[in-house]
Order: sequence, then structure tokens, then C-alpha cells
Amino acid sequence: MAKLLILFFFSFIALSAFGQKKYTISGTIKDSATGETLIGATVRIKELPTVGTATNSYGFYSLTAPAGNYTLLFSYVGYQTVEKPVSLHADETIAMALTSSGSLTEVVISANRPNNDQITSPQMGVEKLNMTQINQVPVVLGEKDILKTITLMPGVKSAGEGNTGFYVRGGAADQNLILLDEATVYNASHLFGFFSTFNSDAIKDVSIYKGGMPAEYGGRLSSVLDVKMLDGNDKDFTVQGGLGLISSRIKVEGPIQKDKGSFMISARRTYIDAFLKASKDSTVKGSTLYFYDINAKANYHFDDNNAIYLSGYFGKDVIGLKNTFGTNWGNATGTIRYNHIFNSKLFSNTSLIFSNYNYVIQSFLSDNNFKATSKINDINLKEDLQYSLSSNHTLKFGVNILHHTIAPGDITSNSASSFNDITVQQRYGFETAAYVSDDWKASDKLTILYGLRLSGFFLFGPGSFNTYDAAGDVLSTSTYGSGQVAKSYLNLEPRLSSSYQLNDVSSIKLSYNRNTQNIHLLTNSTTSSPTDLYVMSSNNIKPEIADQVSTGWFRNFNDNIFEFSAEIYYKWLQNQIDYKDGAQLLVNEDVESQLVYGSGRAYGIELFLKKKYGRFNGWIGYTLSRTEDKFAAINNGNYFPATQDRTHDLSVVGIYQLTKRWSLSSTFIYQTGNAVTYPTGKYEVGGLTTFSYSERNGYREPSNNRLDIGATLEGKKHKKYQSSWTFSIYNVYGHRDPYSITFQNSKTVPNTTEALETSIFATPIPSVTWNFKF
Amino acid sequence: MKALKIIIYIFSLFALASCTKVIDLKLGNNTGQLVIEGNITNTAGPQIIKLSTNVPFTNTNTYPPVTGATVNVSDQNGNAYTFTEGPSGTYSNSQLTGIPGNTYTMTVTTGGKTYTANSKMPAVVNLDSLTSKNDVIQTSDHKKLVTVYYQDPAGIVNQYRFVLYVNKVQANDIYAYNDQFNDGRYVSIDLYENTASSSVDKGIFSGDTVTVEMQCIDKPVYTYWETLMQEQTNGPGGSVTPSNPPTNITPVTLGYFSAHTTQSKTIVVK
Repeated sequence: MAKLLILFFFSFIALSAFGQKKYTISGTIKDSATGETLIGATVRIKELPTVGTATNSYGFYSLTAPAGNYTLLFSYVGYQTVEKPVSLHADETIAMALTSSGSLTEVVISANRPNNDQITSPQMGVEKLNMTQINQVPVVLGEKDILKTITLMPGVKSAGEGNTGFYVRGGAADQNLILLDEATVYNASHLFGFFSTFNSDAIKDVSIYKGGMPAEYGGRLSSVLDVKMLDGNDKDFTVQGGLGLISSRIKVEGPIQKDKGSFMISARRTYIDAFLKASKDSTVKGSTLYFYDINAKANYHFDDNNAIYLSGYFGKDVIGLKNTFGTNWGNATGTIRYNHIFNSKLFSNTSLIFSNYNYVIQSFLSDNNFKATSKINDINLKEDLQYSLSSNHTLKFGVNILHHTIAPGDITSNSASSFNDITVQQRYGFETAAYVSDDWKASDKLTILYGLRLSGFFLFGPGSFNTYDAAGDVLSTSTYGSGQVAKSYLNLEPRLSSSYQLNDVSSIKLSYNRNTQNIHLLTNSTTSSPTDLYVMSSNNIKPEIADQVSTGWFRNFNDNIFEFSAEIYYKWLQNQIDYKDGAQLLVNEDVESQLVYGSGRAYGIELFLKKKYGRFNGWIGYTLSRTEDKFAAINNGNYFPATQDRTHDLSVVGIYQLTKRWSLSSTFIYQTGNAVTYPTGKYEVGGLTTFSYSERNGYREPSNNRLDIGATLEGKKHKKYQSSWTFSIYNVYGHRDPYSITFQNSKTVPNTTEALETSIFATPIPSVTWNFKF
Repeated sequence: MKALKIIIYIFSLFALASCTKVIDLKLGNNTGQLVIEGNITNTAGPQIIKLSTNVPFTNTNTYPPVTGATVNVSDQNGNAYTFTEGPSGTYSNSQLTGIPGNTYTMTVTTGGKTYTANSKMPAVVNLDSLTSKNDVIQTSDHKKLVTVYYQDPAGIVNQYRFVLYVNKVQANDIYAYNDQFNDGRYVSIDLYENTASSSVDKGIFSGDTVTVEMQCIDKPVYTYWETLMQEQTNGPGGSVTPSNPPTNITPVTLGYFSAHTTQSKTIVVK
């Protein structure tokens, strides 16, 4: 089957390789002031409206056209469009530097010509976030945050108030592939999800794929969040930073060698524990509670065709009670990438990627002393190639091999402790993939992006592997030596995305993708917890599989100033994982005996109206959707609403440049409450009032709504330095969003029970941040 | 795990702007279900099996007894004990004293249906001693906590449930532990009284008389209490989806049948 598909695939390409003499223009597009490469900048030929391309993740583009004299148009959102005449009679290399059309202090008026990429591109279900917008969207305590801004997009839902976890088109939080410079970030949140691990000072570009996933991405079911760090200014040294209510940031960047190489280091630390010092309680006073993170990157261009990039991230959360208890957890990632341009048509990137997530919980009490640790370690080797075959075909193909080491749990203690030393067996696995895809301009109107991804998963010894029956008892045990395969799975994942242009301003798109997932998060908590436990597919756990179809109508108005889209999706999910009631997940050798398996489905419609240009810009996104799970042991085997089911989800974002120095912003959200399980009765056992339950997730928390406002004041421009103030008010009208509802004995009326709602950030929360740059 | 409770506590400090209020919710009404609470212990005296039904959430905490049921318990040696009906849905038998190692089978017939459950009484693990000390988390309000000490037998799986009484009033908390992390060790467990969800529980203070009952329970009964305990720790920082804990009674109904050993100690908190 696979061979047949590949044959079919290449026969398409062969057919189109004939025609008149053609030449290729290639090069890199950069920001003229900083030398940062621009991702997704477009290059088009004025005279040939159907010929165009966009720069890849490294700012490289390659465009093929018949011989002739043309005008090239280079454009990028927020930058001046450049026209450049070219006489194409041989392959050309054109490096382009674009100038930002409004540095922050100037009023951004549509100096740049709005384009209709959304109409012509076959890609659907993708959202790109503009860092300028992210910086202006008001957030709680003034900590600008890409993950929180992303949840304002249709189809992407926040996991809860003050939570950076997100659900994409009904997928669970662990079904998002979160990449920072290609390295997987396992826990993308700080402090139980209040802040994300992404310091937006260090971020260049953010894209989220909700559907029609390109074949180069794989390993997770529902989305890819691709975050790229800034390369660093290769022209001048700059220092910028900010002082906020709960954290401070600093970033230093500059050239290693002018126009050849640069570096960037960005760091952030919170000081929330300063608030704890105000407490009268001596233990609270002695508590620690903070996080920090560091992003660093360096690059060097040996010549036009060879460049190396090094990037790293290190972040840690630390919580401790004086002499009692301490916990810390964090991610570390490192990426080495080597770009090589073989010729104007063939671009290659080789990456070696490290990723680590670990946590430590420690008790310092003399008789209950222990230290529990858990970690996951990845090493990933990846080769990606991009080949511009002709003006109609751009091929992408590559392979990667990813090695996981998971140490699920390890407890050590001193001799006076009540605890034993326990080590749960480490697990080793390889995730391998090979992919090929073709971006095919089939006609003036029809573009098809199609591809195949072959993913393999191999679980290795050494270790003993139990097989469990439905009751969780051990059926059999197999022992494998080092390097022996305990279990393997092979999956073929077809990907297809196509666009048919109805006219200049509208198109319809259709996509299908299959995704598989071999690394699964086990958590019995709704918020992000440091003790999140990852397990790999095994003899008990099958790979999760998702099939998604989606179709959409895309329409631009007013010379492409307004973009509108309506997308419908339907997703089938197989081999979903839940845990049994009363499951013990921590440091448990038999954790796989605690799991049950089922299926799911998710469907919905997303409406999105965007204004990207002008003094006033912003968007309205609305999603109507349903997400349901089905497990034999739950709800009599009937579908029930998943935790991430949200019927209505509305976000409105507006940003207005009031004067040269003042800009205002505002967001409003409305969301249906979470599906939750409430008691349907109560009874007494063991002398305690206890609640009885009927359907799983049969109730809804009250709906959420909230208005946030923000304002940015740019300081007067100085030659040497620049500064700005950011003010925001979170939850302007003090709406009480339910954070949790607990059922308990009444504290006031004896012998009765009550429902107690806890809200956080239930009053307007002002904040101010001072930013500087010199 | 206690670590979780501490995380929740620190978390609540952090959520500076958090506030709570009692709300009215329209809750479903799936009531009138049978609740069986069967306990066989290793102490002499009547063994009691209590039958009641569940009531709507909005009712007071009084539970209608189920009368006219037939209740029997037998052991693996064929000894059968008939339980006779007493007041308010309690069925008792004074001849039966549970013996560690025996498996007991409960049979309850009511409303034309017969319910059965098995439970094996584990061997006795001795409750060594109780001590009290200052609460390690909240120190400002001079609360105390009580520590239980016992020697866990090595090489076998043990499960325990503790019941805490402060001045003879049962605390509104569930304490269920196993020896997964401390098999064969001399174990100390700190018992905190949760004051968040009761009009009666004010915490443990100097001068209080505290009694702790230690039960050695079998695995299904441990799973039952452990599930209830997990659901009790709901709150900021994470919660499990609540459900009726897995019962050892078939056909499934609310409640449990537990053959367990029991032992109590009392101290006056210093």
C-alpha cells in the first residue's frame, strides 16, 4: 500500500516537470535593522500572480519561473513591501532586507500592501501570531504570554482561568506538540499553569497548526505549537528588559561578527515569594516560591550557504516550605542546527536536539524524610530537506529518530525515615519517522499540499514488561535484554490540504490528516501539575490515533484588510487513555494496570474575522463545538462530554493606536463552563457524609466571561535609549469565574451540605510594567 | 499523598485574589439507592451491618433506614451468622468475632434483590503509639497534629485506615494508607484535622483528647477509602473527577463490606 502511494506521489511530480526553460531565484529575507531572518515572508512575481512562495523557518525562499523580465514583490506583515526588478535568464540569488513599517513608536498605517495569502495558501487550520500583538494583549499581572494569547484563537481553548494549558479542537492538553526551536517542551507552564515557559522577549515567531498538519510534524494528535526563538541582532548590541509587579526580564543581544553571526540571551525571574514575606506566619515567611528561565541562542553564517545555530532553554520552578518540604521542576532543551544550501533549489537542515523534563519532591521532616525524582530525556536527530522542483512543486522530505528515556520515579530516603528506597524501572523507546510532502500548484486556482508520514515506535529493554487483564491483574511478564525490542508499532499517516480559489477574494479548502501519538501523559489533575507522568506506548498501551477532516470557506474584504474564515472539523480519536477510579499514578511500577482505554470524537465550527492592518486591528473568534469520550467502564459505555468540551467559545481582541505614543488594547472572552461531575445525592459511610454520582461530566460549570484592558505608553524617543510603560487591568468588571466548585458539609448550618465556589482573580487586577531598551 | 496537600496549601497562598462563596446549583436527584455498610471486626460485641438509602443533596444529613432485609454473614469454614434487625436500619450479631485470616461473605436480601460481598480480615499490625506536635504547615494559629507510629510487617502488602476522634467527635476526614513506600519500616504518619469543610471540626489544640482507631483492611476496601480520600482533597491545584468509589458488593450498590482488625489509642495533646 505504502509503495503504491509513493509511486502515485512521484508520478504526479514527473508529469509536471516538462515545459519551457525555467530558472530559480533563491535567498534569505531579513529584517534590515536587526538582521533577524523573517519566517513566512512572501515573495511574488507581479507579472505572474500565481507564482509565489514564502520563506521557511530559516528565512530561506526559492522561487522558480520561466525566463523573462519581472518585478519581484517582497512583503511581510508589518514591514514595507519592496519591489525589485529582475531579469531572469539564469539562476539568481537575491538576499533581501525588509524595513519594519512602524517601529513601535510610529502609527502603523497600512504602508504595507495587505496580501491575500489566506486565500491562496492551501494550508488551513493554522494561526500565526504576531509578536507585536502578543505584547499588546492585556494579561493578568502584566506577564505577556504567548500561550494565553493563543487561547484567544478560535478552536484553541484555555484549560481554565489563569491556566496556560490549552485544548485544540477537542484534543487533550498532552496532545499538543509544543516545540521550542524544534525541541519538545514537556511542561510548558510555570507555577501550576499560571505562566507559560515562553518568555516572549526571546520569541520570534509562533504558529499553531490545528488541522491539516504538514507531514514534517508528527508525534501528537491534535496540534503543533511551533515556537521559534530570536536569533539575535547581528548589527548592534542592544539591552532590553522590563520591571513588572511579579517578575523582571532582561535580554542582551548583539553581533558575534557583524552580519555573520549573533547571539541573544534572555532571562526572567519572578519574585512572588516577596508577597509571602508579608505573612505573619513564620513558616509562610520562610517559604520559597519562584521560577526563572533563560533562553540563549547564537548563530554563525560561514558563508551564504552554510550556517549554524545553537539554542537552549533552561527553566525551573522552586517551591519550598521552610525545613519541611521542597519541590522543583523544570525543562531544559538544547538544539544544534546546521543549515546548508546545496543549490538554489535544495535547502537542508540537520538538527540535533536534546530535551529534558524532571521534577524533585523532597520532605525534610526527620521521620518522613524522602526525595522523589522523575525525569524524561530525549535525544533527537533530524534531517529536513526542501527541494523546489519547479514553479509548481515544492517538495519537503526528511527523517528523524528520537530516543526517549523515561525514569518514572525514584524515591530515596535516609535511614531514620519511614520510607523505603524505590526505583521504578526506566523505559527506553525510539520514535522514528520518515516523511515526504509536495506543495503542488495544480492550476491557477487549485493548490494541493499532500504528503505521507511513516511513524515507527519501538519500546526497548532492558526491563520486565507486565501484561495486564481488564481488572489490572498481571497476566504475564516478559523480560527483555538491553537493545531487545519489547513492542513496536508502525503507522502510516496521510496528510492532505488543498485550496480552490473561487476568485480573487475567496477560496474553499479541504484537509484530511491522520496523526498518531506514542507518548502519553497520565494525570489525575485538571491543572498542570509538576508530577505529570509520561508513559510510552507498550504491550498494554496502543498508539493513540486521530483522523481529522476539515473544510473551510475563506473570504477577504476591503482589499484584503479584513479576513474572514469559517472552518468545520470532525475528528475521530482511537485508543484514548483514562485511569481507573482511585488510581495510584505516582512511583508505581504497575501504573499501566491502572488504565482504561476508549475512543472519542470531536466536531465543531470556527468563525474568525480578523483585521490585520490599520490603526485599529484585532479579531473576533467564535467556536461552536462538541467533544465526547467513550469508555466501556464509564457511563455504561455511552459517549459523555470530555473535560475539554466547551460548547461556545468567543474571544474579541481589539488594539487601537490612539496617538503616536499611546496604544490601547482590550480583550473580551465568553466560554461555556467546563463539563463536570456533580453529586446527585448523598449518603453516609464510615460516619461521614459522602456524595453519590450518576453521569460522568453530566453538569456544566457556570459560563465564564471577562474583559481585560491595557494601555502602552511609549516614552519620548532618545538617541541612546527607549522606554515604555504597560498598564493593564485584568477582569475589569470583577466577574467571578468559577475556578473550582467543591461539595462539603456546611460550615454554618450544621447537618447540611453546601456547594462552595472558589474564584481566583475575581476582582479587577491592575498591573504596571516598565520596559527599557538601549 | 501529603505532598499534594502541602502544594495545595502553598498554592492557595499564591492565589492572592481568590475568594469563595456558597452557591446554589441545580443538582440532579438520583436517590433512594441502597447503601450497605458492613463491618466485621476482631473485637467481641455486636458486629453491625447498616442499611440506608441516599437522599438529595439539599436535604439534611439524615438517611432513611432500610428495614425488613435479610442479612447473613458466613466464613470460609461454613459458619453462618444471622444478623437481626435493630433500630434505624442496623442489623447486628453478637456471636461473631472476626478472626484475622478468615474470609467473610455478606449476603443482604432486600427489595427482591440479593447483594453479596467478600472481605478477608488481614493480620493485626500493632498500633505502637501516638504523639502530638505543632502543625508543620500552619504555625501561626498554634494548631497541633497527631502522629501515629507502627511497625509495618515486611514482605507482605498491608493497608490501613485511621479514624480520628477529637474530644470524642469523629473528624470529617478519611485517612487510608498502604505500605507501597514504606514496606517493612517503622512508620510514622501525621494526621491533620481538616477544618475547611465542617462546622464542627476546629482543629486539634493543646488539651484536646484525641483518639485514633487503626484498622487493618484488605485491598478492595483500601481502594474504596483511598478513592474517597482522593476526592476529598479536591480544591485549587488539581482535582480528580469524582465518582462512586469501586465497591466490593455485587450487584453494584453504594457502600462496602469490610472485615478488618481494630485497635485504638487515646492521648491528651500537650
